[in-house]
Amino acid sequence: MRLDIVNKKLFLGLVLLSFIGVAISATPQELLKGYESQSSKASSIRGEQFFNTKHGKEWSCASCHGNPPNRDAKHNVTGKVIKPLSPNVNPERFADQVKVEKWFRRNCNDVLGRECATQEKADVLSWLMTVK
Amino acid sequence: MKTYVIAPLLAFLAMPIYASKMTMPSDAPKSYKVECASCHMAYPPGLLGQKNWKNIMTGLDKHFGTDASLDPKTQAEIAQWLIKNAAIKAKYSALAPEDRITKTAWFVRKHDEVRADVWKRAGVKSPANCMACHVDAAKGNFDEDSIRIPTK
Repeated sequence: MRLDIVNKKLFLGLVLLSFIGVAISATPQELLKGYESQSSKASSIRGEQFFNTKHGKEWSCASCHGNPPNRDAKHNVTGKVIKPLSPNVNPERFADQVKVEKWFRRNCNDVLGRECATQEKADVLSWLMTVK
Repeated sequence: MKTYVIAPLLAFLAMPIYASKMTMPSDAPKSYKVECASCHMAYPPGLLGQKNWKNIMTGLDKHFGTDASLDPKTQAEIAQWLIKNAAIKAKYSALAPEDRITKTAWFVRKHDEVRADVWKRAGVKSPANCMACHVDAAKGNFDEDSIRIPTK
């Protein structure tokens, strides 16, 4: 109960920070822990499936990030090179909480037409952390 | 006598809006590269007029089929800089259909010899992918001598 209130405050704080565009350094492990505390334990199997499937719209996550996302990929429309998404290959990934939330917001909207649930973020991140 | 010829020639070559050269202003905010150049090349602001940039920057949640929304502070910063550096000359500042650089009259005319199947090659993918053929596009060099068209 107490933790719930703290999490809510933390979440609101994050929303506010993303609003003014500040960076908060983090590790993939910390981010995953944060998501899991607001949902259930992550499943990398579900995450892999989520990442590689379309969700009623034109694209999957893999359309732009490739599969497996451990190398340079190309933006599905513009052809621009997108650096690897796996944090094991590209340490810049999942290293800034505000940046992570911003891209989840944008890209989930493109792929699913809505924001991603915390459980979905947890699942995808846990899978990405296994991609070598 | 020679200076009468050379001086105007040099002035002409140094003009920032010379067809093959479209350099990025040196005062580009860091956010421009971070936010815009993640998905496409950091287009020099001189490729579109003010009205087009205004339209683009007020519709980022529906940006050519994707959500490119920004926090208000960053959005204002980028918009202000784009508008300040937008094209002024009539040729480049004429209103582009759909706010697309690739639909401006000068772009269409400059690329009229490119066949439809070339645009569709995997190595090109989209007319918005300047760097596919203009290998030095990121440096603002669109010179005809620096064009390498992917064969597939």
